[in-house]
Amino acid sequence: MNQTTPGRSRHPRLIGRFLVWLWLLASMVPLLFMLTTSLKPAGVARQIPPTWFFRPTFDNYAQILTGGNGTSAGFGRLLFNSAAVTLGATALTIALALPAAYALTMRHFRARRGLSSWILSTYMFPPIVAVIPIFIYAGKLGVIDTYPVLIVPYAAFNLPIAVWILRSSIHQIPYEIQEAAMVDGASRATILRRILWPLLIPSVATAAILSAILSWNEFLFALSLTRSAAKTSPVGVQEFTGMFGTQWGALTAAGSLIVAPILVMTLVLRRRIVSGLSFGAVK
Amino acid sequence: MDTHDSQHAGISTARVEAGMRPAAAVTSRPGGGGQLGAWVLMAPALVVLLVMTVVPAVYLLYSSFRSESLLGGSGSFVGLQNYRDAVSDPGQRHALGITVAFVVAAVVVETVLGLLLAVPLAAQSRSNNIAVTVMLLPFAVTPVVSALITRELLNPNYGWIDYFMGLVGLPSHVEWLSNPTTAWIAVLGLDVWQWTPFVALILMAGLQSLPQDPVEAAALDGAGPWQTFRYITLPMLTPFLAIAVVLRTIQAFKTFDSFKVLTGGGPGTSTEILNLNIYRVALQSFRTGAAAAVAILFLILLTLLVPVLLRVVGRGTDPEEA
Repeated sequence: MNQTTPGRSRHPRLIGRFLVWLWLLASMVPLLFMLTTSLKPAGVARQIPPTWFFRPTFDNYAQILTGGNGTSAGFGRLLFNSAAVTLGATALTIALALPAAYALTMRHFRARRGLSSWILSTYMFPPIVAVIPIFIYAGKLGVIDTYPVLIVPYAAFNLPIAVWILRSSIHQIPYEIQEAAMVDGASRATILRRILWPLLIPSVATAAILSAILSWNEFLFALSLTRSAAKTSPVGVQEFTGMFGTQWGALTAAGSLIVAPILVMTLVLRRRIVSGLSFGAVK
Repeated sequence: MDTHDSQHAGISTARVEAGMRPAAAVTSRPGGGGQLGAWVLMAPALVVLLVMTVVPAVYLLYSSFRSESLLGGSGSFVGLQNYRDAVSDPGQRHALGITVAFVVAAVVVETVLGLLLAVPLAAQSRSNNIAVTVMLLPFAVTPVVSALITRELLNPNYGWIDYFMGLVGLPSHVEWLSNPTTAWIAVLGLDVWQWTPFVALILMAGLQSLPQDPVEAAALDGAGPWQTFRYITLPMLTPFLAIAVVLRTIQAFKTFDSFKVLTGGGPGTSTEILNLNIYRVALQSFRTGAAAAVAILFLILLTLLVPVLLRVVGRGTDPEEA
């Protein structure tokens, strides 16, 4: 094809390449801005045109981690809260999703189709609808500003994705493997522990990392249901922008600290993150 | 039954490891186990999901018929008054209108751009591998952080965007967030920046999974690249376009963070989408009854999307339906 019509096939291709590089270049600007500004000394952070050559400093990071810079607590404390809530929500998500996904693959379980569809359909449930009643009830129970009041809703909203990832990966394990083990006298517990579990570890990891990313990023519930003791970093970071202007160094350093761990996890998962977020519809 | 199994688990394990002859009788099939066992395994997940979705919705439905306030005091039954207000109030009709407009605009732009990026990136090569990884980076940024960063980039005095625009001869003192039109461009641009990689990767995976025979046959028949793409590739890509569009539509309806942080619904209420409207009425004006009615209408609107979600995503991923 290239030999017969070189011009016709090469032009669109070149335009496509150009578009990709233009997009990549433009989409890196915010990240470049965040990283460079966070490393700039206080004097040059807001200079226009931007200062490109400067001696990198970690002052901004040190400053926000020790606290007292416009926030009620040091930013380290908020990151710790985020980590605690994320770990709790991820553990709860997997603990709930794994048995549910297993039940949904049992061939004799009559309600499995209906339940699978219902769990998938809760993906459209807008969190704003849940946040008002949960706010009222959490107030009555006196659990506002605690970890569990974030952990339980996060786990619930992560469930559709986690259940569907795990369910389809259990489905992919040939049923004959389980049958063969059964014939060899293995009990259900043995089959679960020694046959299914090792094969499921990659999917459990994907579901766990996705749950962790979604919990780490969550803003609406954290904003409504925490005050100070359980405040997470996405809520805290926006306090660096105030009425009297923004401390760019502090804001970008805090932003970089929030983004760094999930950036790493995204790069670890790469295409599996998109596959997972599309409920496994895309491999 | 589970306790019975676990008591014998050790023995069975030993037997499997020693490679002994099969057990005399297979009492139950591994995928079997009766209805009760399955319901017991389902129960924890179901309870948490019900308590976090259905129970709040029922509670809101109840409060939507009452004049309730977060400040306390016992509300009274007002019938459909909250719904009448929600439908007739120009502010809330505006919120509904701009929510739908935002979702449509975001999904259309992201799908078109995603497709334009996916086609060149679908060819397997080392440089594409790197490009895909780099492309994924914006997608990995916490939405609150990307909204905050965008706000500073748009700062009329110190922001990089006005500076770069000035460099290439465009207006360089745009007060982005003080004007409804430019504020909309900003939130839409932020959403496109964050979510186009997701759409592009879905479509890229789709393109890579398509059979090459029809494309080669079309080339042999003398079809040009555009004809091949338009009449061969695009129709085969439809299921993947559907998945991307459905998922992005649902996610876009749930958008809260970027609006809250970047524009706060402003200037005025020009970018106050339903999510922000409900949040403000309920948790800042404390009129829970009024907010509940809007929330219930919003929930009904989104429930209309469920059949599409089940059809496009559910069928695509359900091995039993294949």
